[in-house]
Amino acid sequence: MMASLKTPLYEEHVKLGATISDFAGWSMPIVYESTIKEHLSVRKSAGIFDVSHMARILVKGADSAKLLQKLIAKNIEKAKEGRMLGPTAFLNEQGGFIDDIMVYKLSEKEYLIVGNAVNREKDFSWIKRFTEGLEVKVADITFDIAMIALQGPDSSKIMKKLSTSDIMDLDFLHFKKEIEVAGVKSFLVSRSGWTGEDGYEIMIPSDSASKIWSALIKAGATPCGLAARDSLRIEMGYCLYGEDIDENTTPLEARYWVFTFNKPPYIGYDALLKKYEEGVDRIRLGIKLKERVVPRRGCKIYMGEKCIGEITSGTYSPVLNCGIGIAYIDSRHALVGAPVVVDIRGKKRKAKIVDFPFITK
Amino acid sequence: MKYKEYEVNENVLYTKTHEWAKIENGKVRVGLTDYAVKKLKDIVYIEPQDIGQHVKKGDPIAAIDSIKASENVYAPVSGKIVEINSEVIEDPTLINRDPYGEGWILVIEVENPEEINELLKPEDYVKLLEKEEH
Repeated sequence: MMASLKTPLYEEHVKLGATISDFAGWSMPIVYESTIKEHLSVRKSAGIFDVSHMARILVKGADSAKLLQKLIAKNIEKAKEGRMLGPTAFLNEQGGFIDDIMVYKLSEKEYLIVGNAVNREKDFSWIKRFTEGLEVKVADITFDIAMIALQGPDSSKIMKKLSTSDIMDLDFLHFKKEIEVAGVKSFLVSRSGWTGEDGYEIMIPSDSASKIWSALIKAGATPCGLAARDSLRIEMGYCLYGEDIDENTTPLEARYWVFTFNKPPYIGYDALLKKYEEGVDRIRLGIKLKERVVPRRGCKIYMGEKCIGEITSGTYSPVLNCGIGIAYIDSRHALVGAPVVVDIRGKKRKAKIVDFPFITK
Repeated sequence: MKYKEYEVNENVLYTKTHEWAKIENGKVRVGLTDYAVKKLKDIVYIEPQDIGQHVKKGDPIAAIDSIKASENVYAPVSGKIVEINSEVIEDPTLINRDPYGEGWILVIEVENPEEINELLKPEDYVKLLEKEEH
């Protein structure tokens, strides 16, 4: 087996006593002390996540926009410098997800794509595949830049302590290049995240990652592992690639509005439009248990004796104190509010079909 | 007795699957070791088998959910389940907070006393942990 990749913050995680496991080929901190504590720190104050494993790909050159217009499901002409475009997606010809991504317009001729760790190599070769005859350079800068997500209602208070610039004025999904954080010139800082809370994503040169990580902890942020990141995103009903979406899932049944039909066709456009008109067979919805039992991926969902769907990712919700799961439900049975049962370890558990997010914000 | 940050209680016996067993007049009280609990971290749900159920040594006797994963607790000895700790069902975090005390899970009436001799002594359990951690 290939050796696991390490982020520039790996040693910090070891020092903090994290449980480290493989995630998408990376040795990542899953939990430090307690996932519940980490989860609640993000909901109530602030937490930090090492998200350096996420794919960061630079597309550069005169034809960058032309290339991306063909590859992404949103209109690249709508991208503005300093604003994130997304979430959007690379789709295949069938309208299935190659990856769900964020696009950052760095300048007229330069875009940054942030994708899922598990898809880094696939994304890179997918982009490269369509560059022939275009004036475009594609570079994987994942290893040059570290990425830390600061998330939670106290995020801006913490950033204020560490940043001298007008970081507080950044609107949601806006970013600024080269903002100074803890005395280090960052690559960029955006007001964004994947937890449903206010927060920032900080991209810095790899060799300064430890310095900023430590400064954030000193300023009051709790280090949080990927298990908390997962329970937080599930509470919001956000998708995780490989679990809730994949190449055989389109944004329609995922109800993941990463696309527009108001632009010149992109790869997957025709298939998506056709499905849009014909309708979908299954729909992504939430399943809320009546107790703390945790529904796992693959658990079947029933109405009476009829299996009507399956959990794709599940967790315990520290906010709701019950099990929750993201599921695909047969569209004839996709009735929000309806009682269902979930088969967990051979026992049928009472649950309800709900819409996202699970928690009210 | 301690191995690294893991408490190893000297008054109980152990299994290779990280249960402890306390011998009490032909019965054994069963729980998870401090090591198992620290590896699992947040336990949010526990579902033991029913009282009266006969189990064989090594059978699953309770399912547990932590946020990360679902695992089983295995029977240290064969016998009949005669008591279940209703408090840990109500509040599974008791297992995290007091694994050798209030976090006990259930009691089995021993069928074959010979099996008790096969359980690990505290010092042998420490050796097992040494191996697992390397």
